[in-house]
Amino acid sequence: MTNSMSNLVKILESFNPFVEEIDEKEIKITVSPDKVVAVLETLKANGYSHLSLMTCVDWIDDNQLELVYILFSWEDGGKFLVSTRIDRSNPKFVTVKELWPVARFYEREIHEFFGVEFEGNDDMKPLFLELWDERPPLRKDFDPRDYSRKKFPDREYEKDVIKEAKIFRGEING
Amino acid sequence: MAMQELPKKDFFAPLKAWKFLGKRPVTIEVPNKVKREASDRYRGFHINDWSKCIGCGTCSKICPTDAITMVEVPGLVRDHGKLPQRPVIDYGRCSFCALCVDICTTGSLQMTREYIHVSDDAEDYVYMPTEKGLNAKRGLYEHGKAPLGWIKDENSDILDLVRVKMPMEEPEVRVKSFIEIVKGYSKEQAQQEAARCVGCGICTYTCPEHMDIPQYIESIYKGDLEEGLRWLYRTNPLSMVCGRVCTHRCESSCSVGVRGEPVAIRWLKRYIIDNVPFEEYDRILNIRPEKKGKSVGIIGSGPAGLSAAYFLSTMGYDVTIYEANARPGGVMRYGIPRYRLPDEALDKDIAFIEALGVKILVNTKVGQEIGFDEIAKKHDAVFISTGFGLGRSTRVPGTDHPNVKQALPMLKMIRDYLRGDGPKPPVPRKLIVIGGGNVAMDISRSMARLQTMEYGEVNVHTLSLERSFEEMPADMDEIEEALEEGVEFHPGWGPIEIVIEDDEVKGARFKKCLRVFDENHRFNPQFDENNQIFIEADMVIEAIGQAPDYSYLPQELQEKLEFVRGRIKTNEYNQTAIEWLFAGGDIVHGPDIIHGVADGYAAAKGIDMYLSKK
Ligand SMILES: Cc1cc2nc3c(=O)[nH]c(=O)nc-3n(C[C@H](O)[C@H](O)[C@H](O)COP(=O)(O)OP(=O)(O)OC[C@H]3O[C@@H](n4cnc5c(N)ncnc54)[C@H](O)[C@@H]3O)c2cc1C
Ligand code: SF4
Ligand code: SF4
Ligand code: SF4
Repeated sequence: MTNSMSNLVKILESFNPFVEEIDEKEIKITVSPDKVVAVLETLKANGYSHLSLMTCVDWIDDNQLELVYILFSWEDGGKFLVSTRIDRSNPKFVTVKELWPVARFYEREIHEFFGVEFEGNDDMKPLFLELWDERPPLRKDFDPRDYSRKKFPDREYEKDVIKEAKIFRGEING
Repeated sequence: MAMQELPKKDFFAPLKAWKFLGKRPVTIEVPNKVKREASDRYRGFHINDWSKCIGCGTCSKICPTDAITMVEVPGLVRDHGKLPQRPVIDYGRCSFCALCVDICTTGSLQMTREYIHVSDDAEDYVYMPTEKGLNAKRGLYEHGKAPLGWIKDENSDILDLVRVKMPMEEPEVRVKSFIEIVKGYSKEQAQQEAARCVGCGICTYTCPEHMDIPQYIESIYKGDLEEGLRWLYRTNPLSMVCGRVCTHRCESSCSVGVRGEPVAIRWLKRYIIDNVPFEEYDRILNIRPEKKGKSVGIIGSGPAGLSAAYFLSTMGYDVTIYEANARPGGVMRYGIPRYRLPDEALDKDIAFIEALGVKILVNTKVGQEIGFDEIAKKHDAVFISTGFGLGRSTRVPGTDHPNVKQALPMLKMIRDYLRGDGPKPPVPRKLIVIGGGNVAMDISRSMARLQTMEYGEVNVHTLSLERSFEEMPADMDEIEEALEEGVEFHPGWGPIEIVIEDDEVKGARFKKCLRVFDENHRFNPQFDENNQIFIEADMVIEAIGQAPDYSYLPQELQEKLEFVRGRIKTNEYNQTAIEWLFAGGDIVHGPDIIHGVADGYAAAKGIDMYLSKK
């Protein structure tokens, strides 16, 4: 990692983080939920001012959801991935829209696809899905095929697809 | 509200962004009704190269919208590594996610850049992709001319093409003893390897015993070894053996093997058996048949005999096996070297068969200790599986010398010695092995070990008629491992004579072999008599094949049986021309253990049919 990154990691030590070096310019910092905002603020004050992405991972076997904030520094081109895990059965977290206004949209998206509530962010209108009545679709226990079967019943086709294919392949004359 | 701030001094730092100033915008206006070409990696309608597609159905399994149905195509045949079906896509469902392309085992399925297809007839939206692609209505391209869009590359490929490496003993270590070479997978390794299987079942067809391969692999993946054990025992009571030394033809048909390394089916099978304690078998398998009150006599306790015994006893028959040797197992016990198949790996399989009530009478050679007629009288049906126990000789001059041996008795002597059942075999300083098959590899590598243990060095010369490693019938793995252990190969030489001086073997002379088979693929070697070599040795071992010994069968029975090139002819249930006599294993089919197991399975069904009628 770069010098400035390793200095920052030292500053962050007080938050008891689990640190993984992904590559020279990418470091993952995992902390408990109560430390996240303080870590994000510290990083923001030290050059990691750009929230490139906020996303979520479903760890279904652990009954947890992982929230990931990707921060980027225009100064040294480094990336910090700040991660934490929250309870999957009642997933709630605080909004960071005061730190980054753009987080409003990321939080809406994560709400829509993973079902996380963000306290302090009330605008949770769906961004993408229409008339959605199933569990959030990026949860691992969402079965896209099952959903597809339920919503779009199979239809019986009458066409002889084999014959058509054989005509296309020139095996028989059409 | 705190707005996002860019560091002041760096306001112009992302200079990269400036270069876009001069670029033309990405979103452009569609000029009057001219249809736009899609981008290079567009996910449009599919094409499928039928000459590559193997009908594995993996595309259909992954499809998240259930858009793909596999449909059998008349005219295609089920074959090694192929199913006679092709995917049909319902474009009323497809979401163009391309997962089917990303996983396609063969790479036959691809997407074009055609994305326009307008029709008010629903029938136009279902279609079996071929090389030509969809005949798109009002599409961009002429039928068959749409350029490729989304295709597989190394980043999008979601099939795991590389096998989990099996821990093995290093050559320098293994040549010093008969320690088992293959160590077996750990739980993590086994699950990782199991995850590579796409569950297509193509391998099941190729397996002579049609084992439930994708099912037991899935059990491993789920971590449910009890279920895995039940799948194995449905078709194969010798899974611990087969998990080590099966000829694993199934792997040569594995659909993951089309572009990568096939799933390690054999080693996954072994993983299940190695990791379920024997004490648990009875509870897990829970075999409690109703007694039939009829008995079957089996001659020979090799794979075929043991398999028949197992399946018959699960049906409720009383079974007695008559075995000439001191221990059960046939070639598994007395032929295959211990570094490939330790005794312990055989004991567990046999112990469970015995636990079902099968009696194995060892040291009971039929025709010697007991007459065949007596057995026929005692039982309601008889299954013979006596194997190919006689060695064959090249019969060149000198082969009658006591230091010219045959592979089978030597391998038996070595195994007996290693388990403390017999004396140490003679170990020559210099050895010639004649033969290019797996038995030749087994004896060469066994002798290399004995030489290392005795003299600290290997001196084994293995000569075969076949002129290259590719032509030799031995497995490439066996040849490679033998090379690593110090065996020297001389492919393409046929023996002229064993040279004997003062009553001692001095070596052998060979002539160059020009071809082994003639135009009709018949064994018909031709030699260059002027091109000869001499190789020094004080022992020669012949490993050129085995032959059956039917001397225990009474003459009048032999006359009723039909023989085809030394093998007994049977029907599909392994029933011979004599209705109460069934036969299997090497004396019927061969050439390996799993064919023996399959014969035992078929014969058990046949015997049950015969005895139910009687
Ligand atoms: C050296 C060697 C290595 C091999 N390696 C492999 C391998 O790695 N993988 C693989 O799949 N296959 C291998 N094979 C082939 C495989 O072992 C045979 O195909 C298989 O064992 C045949 O089974 P079977 O039941 O027909 O007979 P066998 O295994 O030959 O067993 C026959 C049994 O019958 C007994 N018997 C014979 N006559 C009488 C009698 N009159 N009375 C009582 N008992 C009698 C014998 O003592 C023997 O125990 C190998 C073969 C050899 C020779
Ligand atoms: S592109 Fe996706 S949705 Fe369409 S057939 Fe393939 S897997 Fe199914
Ligand atoms: S995955 Fe590929 S090879 Fe298998 S059936 Fe589908 S198109 Fe054919
Ligand atoms: S082992 Fe290979 S051939 Fe067999 S089901 Fe799995 S992927 Fe298909």
